[in-house]
Amino acid sequence: MSSQSPPLGASKKGRDIFKLSHHRLSVEDVVAAVGSASCGAISLFIGTTREDQSESGKVIGLEYEAYEPMVQSELAELCRRLRARWPDLAHICVHHRLGWVRVGEASVVAAVSSPHRHDGQRALVCLLDGLKANVPVWKKEVYEDRKASWKENAECAWASCHGNHDAQTMIGQ
Amino acid sequence: MVCVLYFAKSAELSGVREELLQVDTPINSQDLWTRLLGLRVLQGHVVLAVRHQYVAIDDQEALTLRDGDEVAVVPPLSGG
Repeated sequence: MSSQSPPLGASKKGRDIFKLSHHRLSVEDVVAAVGSASCGAISLFIGTTREDQSESGKVIGLEYEAYEPMVQSELAELCRRLRARWPDLAHICVHHRLGWVRVGEASVVAAVSSPHRHDGQRALVCLLDGLKANVPVWKKEVYEDRKASWKENAECAWASCHGNHDAQTMIGQ
Repeated sequence: MVCVLYFAKSAELSGVREELLQVDTPINSQDLWTRLLGLRVLQGHVVLAVRHQYVAIDDQEALTLRDGDEVAVVPPLSGG
């Protein structure tokens, strides 16, 4: 006599996959990481380096650094909160660049898989908001004249531009 | 002895990436802040991270630091 098997998917745990890389990011890898037969939707975000203008001229690239052990713990906590809010989420994957990123290249790729699109799309927005508010990564814009300035996310509670979602502030040079 | 890690703007201001600091504990985060190298321009726009938890810099925040603890200086974030 066989025992009753649990409902399909009940014993499957969602994966949270994070990677910091000094190399070009692969969107395909991130999408593959969240793929699941039970999911009808993969919600995807790619953050790219803009060619902004400032008095120092054009942005030629970004330099990223991170407090790596704490990136892991903050992303894990963020995913815990997302899963508590949207229990149907399947898998979550974030790949973030470190080091030098040229204009036009991807600095972050994030994806969420879910049975239906609404949960995934909303969770993805929260994932990005949480990433910008709490995950210890910093970027420095480098200009044509080789000057550079550290950027600040408005989402970060201790940024001077906190609350002003259209603004980013440069702090000193 | 704790290890202080400096990131981003704070590393440029202090000139170092990390330093060892002898501290008595408990110590409040405000007093710890005064021991850190040359970071006045960040005042009001910086937090610390102790054992991977963010800590505000004020005199209410009493920290019990253990030997070997890591304390990070965390300027405003700009990931994502």
